[in-house]
Amino acid sequence: MTAAGRRRRRTGLLALAGALVAIFFLAPFSWLVVTSFMHEGDAMSIPLRLLPTRPTLDNYATFVAPSGTRSIVGSRAAENTMPGIWNSLLAATGTAVLNLALGILAGYSFARLRFPGRTGVLFLYLGSRMVPGIALIVPLYLVIQRAGLLDTRLALVVTYLTFTLPFTIWLLKSYFQGIPRELEEAALVDGCGFWRMMGRVLLPAAAPGLVAAAMFAFMTAWNDYLFAVILTSSMAAKTAPVVVAGFATDVTTERTLMAAGGVLAVVPPLVLAFLFQRLIVQGLVSGAVKG
Amino acid sequence: MSRRRLSDPSFAFLLNAPALLAIVGLVGYPIAYSLWLSLHRYNLKRPNLFRFVGVGNYVEIFRSDEFWAALQVTLVFTALGVILVVALAILIALLLNEPFPGRGFVRTMVLVPWAIPPVVNGLMWQWIYDAKVGALNGLLVALRVLPAYRGWLSDPTDALLALVMAHVWNAVPLGVILLLAALQTIPAELYDAGRVDGSSAWQLFRHVTMPWLAQPLMVVLVLQTMLAIRVFDVIYVLTAGGPGTSTTTLVWQTYVTTFDSLDFGLGNAYAYTISLITLGLALIYFRLLYRRGEFEA
Repeated sequence: MTAAGRRRRRTGLLALAGALVAIFFLAPFSWLVVTSFMHEGDAMSIPLRLLPTRPTLDNYATFVAPSGTRSIVGSRAAENTMPGIWNSLLAATGTAVLNLALGILAGYSFARLRFPGRTGVLFLYLGSRMVPGIALIVPLYLVIQRAGLLDTRLALVVTYLTFTLPFTIWLLKSYFQGIPRELEEAALVDGCGFWRMMGRVLLPAAAPGLVAAAMFAFMTAWNDYLFAVILTSSMAAKTAPVVVAGFATDVTTERTLMAAGGVLAVVPPLVLAFLFQRLIVQGLVSGAVKG
Repeated sequence: MSRRRLSDPSFAFLLNAPALLAIVGLVGYPIAYSLWLSLHRYNLKRPNLFRFVGVGNYVEIFRSDEFWAALQVTLVFTALGVILVVALAILIALLLNEPFPGRGFVRTMVLVPWAIPPVVNGLMWQWIYDAKVGALNGLLVALRVLPAYRGWLSDPTDALLALVMAHVWNAVPLGVILLLAALQTIPAELYDAGRVDGSSAWQLFRHVTMPWLAQPLMVVLVLQTMLAIRVFDVIYVLTAGGPGTSTTTLVWQTYVTTFDSLDFGLGNAYAYTISLITLGLALIYFRLLYRRGEFEA
């Protein structure tokens, strides 16, 4: 075989392997998506049906306006999905915002200031992430109960804040360190106060870091199940994962309806992941390698 | 507040105050409280019997069959999960580092399992494994690999393997992303020099790629170990620790002790035992990073 032929064959084999990898990552999720557009009969059919005979949007429509038997049977899933997603959105957004506020301040101090206990405090933050969630849940429950915050979205926000803050601080510290000091010194010499300098110079320069940190915080909050299921008890605060996990143990809920609920719960993190692909990869790498 | 009137240390303290308050109040205090509870007899079903028992709960744990069974399941789950994730991540990262048509698309698709919340991941696999209408049964029977549908989640061994697979699918992307990033930093000159010396592709892999990957591989190994030990959501949705106790890990055992038996004393002792195991791993993690000098605070 010629050198060119060998190269072509090699490229072909690599592309084949690439296709297999894509199938491995996509097939299980595609199955969920396809099921969400099926009628219940197709989803329950034997032998397996890979595509819906008559694709339908009924399952998604049920979440907005339950009709027919679905307004009675499996109505819990139909009623709770949208409020659950709404609670998730609020809790995750709140977590992201609060994270940035606290993370910017602390991150700046580690990037720019010399002070006693600097390394110790940084290790305290990072070390707090080593505690497994299951070890925190009972005492945290009692603390939240005493504060009268059980079954509120606020309780979820402050809980998630502590999970994500260490990483946020770490990420922003690195970003701030990458910005030349001269920029902010020039602003300070020009008569800007500290806050104006932050708002006008440093934060705009660190924008990619802020976006990445906010996104990781949002996704961590969105994905949590353990804390949400213990700290909430009604639709006043139950999040999407709690509602979705409820499907799994509820035999009256139709499978196609659950699939649609599952897909909805995946949409926000998936959209974020695709939009900010490059930032995510950078963030994951700096988070894992350096802290 | 004007920056100029404050010294660096006081300003730094002010900037850190909100974050410190959150971490100390919502992590530090609970950890201390959890330790205190773990030294007491405290069952919500019999709150009157609350009393100090010292290390009594820990003694009870180490003497119980449940602990050793759960520890064994945790070890098997973690070992299988980590080995599979690391092996797959290496292969996929090496592949995605080579040029081929459609590589950009596959690289993006790596993010799909990563973005899926573990609960949805569990629900998704629950149907794939379903004994009556699941996709896995349907595919394997159609391909004539299996003679008939079977209940993947009702056999102890199958259930554990099924659980591992569901977790691996969710966890592989992180490994791929980290290893691919490491591969991309290998200077092309190293390969060029090797080729000039007449090294084969295997020799290049053995003497250039592998040494370069050693450190990131350790990071992935430790991260994945911590991830696997903490797994909860997917167990909750997929197997609830069963059948029997075949998928009851330490985390699940903690959950059951605490929230089913309402034994907060014993539950917290379990939780503390897991924390200590994780802490040991964290120390290894920091040591590895320190040795390389990567951690500059």
